[in-house]
Amino acid sequence: MLNTDSNSKIINVFMYKFWSDFSESKVAVISLLILIAIVLIAIFAPLISPSDPYDLSKVSIMDSRLPPMAKNFAGDIFILGTDGAGRDMLSAIFYGLRVSLGVGVMSAIFALIIGTIFGISAAFFGGKYETFIMRIVDIQLSFPSILMALIILAAFGKGIEKTIIALVLVQWAYYARTARAAALVERSKEYAEAAQCLALGNKKIMFNHILPNCMPSLIVVGTLQTAHAISLEATLSFLGLGLPITEPSLGLLIGNGFQYMHTGDFWISIFPGVALLITIVSINLVGDQLRDMYNPRLKK
Amino acid sequence: MNILNRILIIMIGCVLSSMAVAKDLTVGLKSEPSSIDPHYHNLGPNNSLSAHIFDTLVGSDENQQHYPNLAVTWKPINDTTWEFKLRKGVKWHDGSDFTADDVVFTSKRAANVPKSPSGFGTYLKGKTFVKIDSHTIHIKTEKPYPLMPNDLSTVKIISKKYGEGASTSDYNSGKAAIGTGPYKFVEWVPGDKIVLKANPNYHGALKGKPAFNKVLFKPIKTGPARIAALLAGDVDLIDSVPPLDVARLKKNASLTLTSGPSNRVIYIHLDQFRENSPYIKAIGGGEIKNPLMDVRIRKAISLAINRDAMVAKVMEGIALKAGQLLPAGFHGVSPNMKPDPYDTKAAKKLMADAGYGNGFEMTIHGPNDRYINDAKIVEALAQMLSRIGIKTKVETMPKSVYFKRASAGGPNKSPEFSFMLLGWGAGSGEASSPLRALLHTYDKSIGMGRANRGRHSDPAVDKIIQQALSTVNADARGKLLAEATEIAVGKNYGVIPIHYQMNTWAAKSSLSYQPRTDEYTLVMGISNN
Repeated sequence: MLNTDSNSKIINVFMYKFWSDFSESKVAVISLLILIAIVLIAIFAPLISPSDPYDLSKVSIMDSRLPPMAKNFAGDIFILGTDGAGRDMLSAIFYGLRVSLGVGVMSAIFALIIGTIFGISAAFFGGKYETFIMRIVDIQLSFPSILMALIILAAFGKGIEKTIIALVLVQWAYYARTARAAALVERSKEYAEAAQCLALGNKKIMFNHILPNCMPSLIVVGTLQTAHAISLEATLSFLGLGLPITEPSLGLLIGNGFQYMHTGDFWISIFPGVALLITIVSINLVGDQLRDMYNPRLKK
Repeated sequence: MNILNRILIIMIGCVLSSMAVAKDLTVGLKSEPSSIDPHYHNLGPNNSLSAHIFDTLVGSDENQQHYPNLAVTWKPINDTTWEFKLRKGVKWHDGSDFTADDVVFTSKRAANVPKSPSGFGTYLKGKTFVKIDSHTIHIKTEKPYPLMPNDLSTVKIISKKYGEGASTSDYNSGKAAIGTGPYKFVEWVPGDKIVLKANPNYHGALKGKPAFNKVLFKPIKTGPARIAALLAGDVDLIDSVPPLDVARLKKNASLTLTSGPSNRVIYIHLDQFRENSPYIKAIGGGEIKNPLMDVRIRKAISLAINRDAMVAKVMEGIALKAGQLLPAGFHGVSPNMKPDPYDTKAAKKLMADAGYGNGFEMTIHGPNDRYINDAKIVEALAQMLSRIGIKTKVETMPKSVYFKRASAGGPNKSPEFSFMLLGWGAGSGEASSPLRALLHTYDKSIGMGRANRGRHSDPAVDKIIQQALSTVNADARGKLLAEATEIAVGKNYGVIPIHYQMNTWAAKSSLSYQPRTDEYTLVMGISNN
């Protein structure tokens, strides 16, 4: 057994190696910094926003569609203007990021857990159980994810939790497939066989031995799927499903602003669109770099 | 060579002449009908579409004035009987003759369509149709019934031959969609298109022979997409031009815009029949007694609504603020009622007097694809109510889901929602239409209060409405209707009116559309410029 001291040393070495690999791409580093900034904005949105866009008693229809940097009668300045309901765009974007990231990350985590459990157990037990699980995965992946999500939301109704459930149900299959593929490789390796010879419990072998070695590919898929979940949530909100209109996420802000596109009130759609774009692109770039790092064919 | 030449000339001639006569028309509609069955759902888009395929006995023109349609004359022959003489020589789309049997059959079917979300019972209950000869009908009622022509201007006559045993889906498929109207039904691909073609044997009561050979209705739900389709030439006419875009499009020389007020009031239904209303909670989420039972709360809500802001900011000025059920000019409108002023102070005081000084939590429900800017209206209402302490959540949904739940989504088919946004177009062009549908006590057996989703009930109001419905003298009836409105809306706040819609149509510049108060988009109302 290793003592904690050398454990932390190993982690240090691992982190150093990870960072030196990761920082090979300047773009990825910049993306990571932007992403950290976005996450901080999302977490601290209530503290840094000029106003609370979800408090209906503070939002006034009389302030609707003010252009960027405009003042209302009370003298409040709206840096990015206001939307059709009179919400401050900047605050709405900050809060919207919070909703979008929250929904994206939560659904990615739940989908990761569920998908991984099914994927690894399918690889481990094999036989009819594996066939059964993987056929469900195949069937689910054959449907476009937006269609699945629309059907699920139409059945469940609106709400943040329901949107998360819908996204989890749509996305678990990606993780299950990745986890199974990785676990199949790991299962036949010596350490896994050794663990089996030691007569360790199935759970222990699956989750203490095989899972840690599957993690790299799962993390890569997880990162990219988070971006996918965010854009899926934005699509659903844009279509008017998903979240309630008084608590807009980025997708809903864009959707609300879309009707003003012809009238020249560009800021209502453009700014949340840019925020969404930056978020998704930075997550994707970070994810791409992670993928390249763990892709043995690209190793120098 | 000679023969070839001749054939060529004939062919060119054919093409040219068909181009001159055969004109096709594509219309972009905001709301797709929920069925082709003319009796399934008493809903604007359905009634509008079915008016092309089917006819009513009494026609209703742009301003809801009556004209002879399938009936050429109608008159009361005694206190309780009306006589309708039917038009002779009218053919169904399949070529068979239209007779009194079809009318009698329609009177039985129209009120009894299975699974109908809101049918035509209101207009047919208590009337007995009797065939006198092949083209004469007597309609008997228990009491004098002056509104007979108004009621019958809403019910489309269907063919007995095809309607017997036909279900709503038989109409949707076209199997039973055989009418007498100016256009024949060809096909409906839900979400994509509805195709009609001209009926060359049309009797011509409405604007003569059909002007277009083939008519294509395309549902285009979002405003910008509808406008883009018109500007790109994909469609020739669109309805429901979003108020936001009217000013800009008016400047465009390649388009003709026409606007007109409608008979549709946008209003709120409030739950007045449940001690505990499902979407109303105490602050923090506990159970409370339904505050909407208290007239002071209902009045406070009306005072909290800034109707000027609603019209100016949400409707872009293209609406009229409302204090009753129909705008001035319609029959039965009260001259004494004004829209409530915006007065949060008085509203807060009323809330406190009623014992809800700390407010309560409530969810507003509304459609997001039915009325002009409906979702935005609901959102603005939520803001306004939050200011008097009612913590408001908003839930909007597509009309296909919304209306079912709003009418009968609760236990025992009761209305599900506590506080909901709706609109009512007075199909008969009189205040009696909204009064008996929205404010008379709900009673299915006599066809009253059919759309009374808040279940407002006041025997005094019922009595006046009943009395008005059997008053033959138009002026006396108008006074009674005004009185009923003053009590039910002005005193009881049984429903809370917000504004009257105004509608705008846009066509390419070679065409123009005559606006209708009933908001229908009828191909027959298109004229060439």
